[in-house]
Amino acid sequence: MSLSRNILTVMALLTIVWASLLAVMFIMAFTIFPALEQTGGALILNILRVSLGLLIFAIWVYAWYKLTRLWLYRILLNMKHT
Amino acid sequence: MWVIVISLFAAISLLLTVILTPLMGKVGGRLGLTGIDIHKDWRPIIPKTGGLAVIASVSISLLISSQIIGEQVIHLVFILPMLIAGLVGVVEDALGEISPKVKPLLLVLAALPILLLEAYVPRPILPFIGGTRLSRVYPLMVLAAYPVVGNAANSMDILNGSMALTSLPFFAMASTIFLLRGDITLLSITLVIMSSLLGFLIYNKYPARIFSGNSGSLAVGALMATVAIVGRIEVAAIIALLPHILNEMHVIFSMGGLRSAKSLRDRPVEIDNGFITASTRKTAPITLLRMLSSNVRITEKQAVAALTAVSIYTSLLALITQILFIGM
Repeated sequence: MSLSRNILTVMALLTIVWASLLAVMFIMAFTIFPALEQTGGALILNILRVSLGLLIFAIWVYAWYKLTRLWLYRILLNMKHT
Repeated sequence: MWVIVISLFAAISLLLTVILTPLMGKVGGRLGLTGIDIHKDWRPIIPKTGGLAVIASVSISLLISSQIIGEQVIHLVFILPMLIAGLVGVVEDALGEISPKVKPLLLVLAALPILLLEAYVPRPILPFIGGTRLSRVYPLMVLAAYPVVGNAANSMDILNGSMALTSLPFFAMASTIFLLRGDITLLSITLVIMSSLLGFLIYNKYPARIFSGNSGSLAVGALMATVAIVGRIEVAAIIALLPHILNEMHVIFSMGGLRSAKSLRDRPVEIDNGFITASTRKTAPITLLRMLSSNVRITEKQAVAALTAVSIYTSLLALITQILFIGM
């Protein structure tokens, strides 16, 4: 594997991470946010909105980590078992 | 007219850094603030005080800029966090590594000026969602931003020129957004920072005659966090810093928490005759350099070029996101 191929492979991983971040925000924009906006400005709902946002962000970060592990060992290092 | 004024501030910053960096190198050598360049066979001892030249040059240039452009508070909000983060780095450079659990708490102090001067808008604009109201949570995010971005910039300071070359695309991306927005003050500030980093790069590029030290990388990280918050480009900043965050976050995950890099059993890369290659051990932490040097032997210069290419790419993605999905 050449350095150029490694660079392109890492760029491909970061493109997936970027696209998945946008996808998560797109889904949130049309599901969680409108649903909570319609219920008024109660404090508990604001906390719920922020908590849900943080939870989704944490899941995205964890998924990114798992994907990176897979990318490194299976694709870049070409190891059979991860 | 403003083009000439901004160019003048950038030129001052560049000139100051070019003059101050070798001077700081001499000071570092005399005080014993040095480090070993482990990626060279001959293991040269290099002063690690270059960051102080960047901090001094940016501070002086921004103080001059604040007197001419005005907007003293915005300039101060850039200078103070940089000085606080830089001071944490100086302590680490002089006295040795600060506990990885204490260091983030110290870097939180860098967020205080921006909070106390209320130089933030707690309504970040997210793609598709638009403006959000995060009045209570946003200050907490500001507090978290400085340790996260500071350590992320620090984690990229691994090879000759790598810190400056991976930071420059971020500031170029921010400068482009501020230019398109017509925000002359922030454009001027980011160009001052870029000029200083370019001046520092003359001495820090391969083979480095000076290192930035933790003072430099933490100060640059603080500047990045301030640009993101004051410039209201939080999402674009996260995207541009994906390589930095990957580097920092995956090391923490791999190590199972905040631990000293010195406690690692396996290094992420191996160095043989000046060539870098990725470790194949599962217990080695995942870093960007490890990914880029997988199954290949690369020189330090090639590694830095690869890190820079990835940083330029994510900065372009950030710019596309800002223009297409967020707006100016």
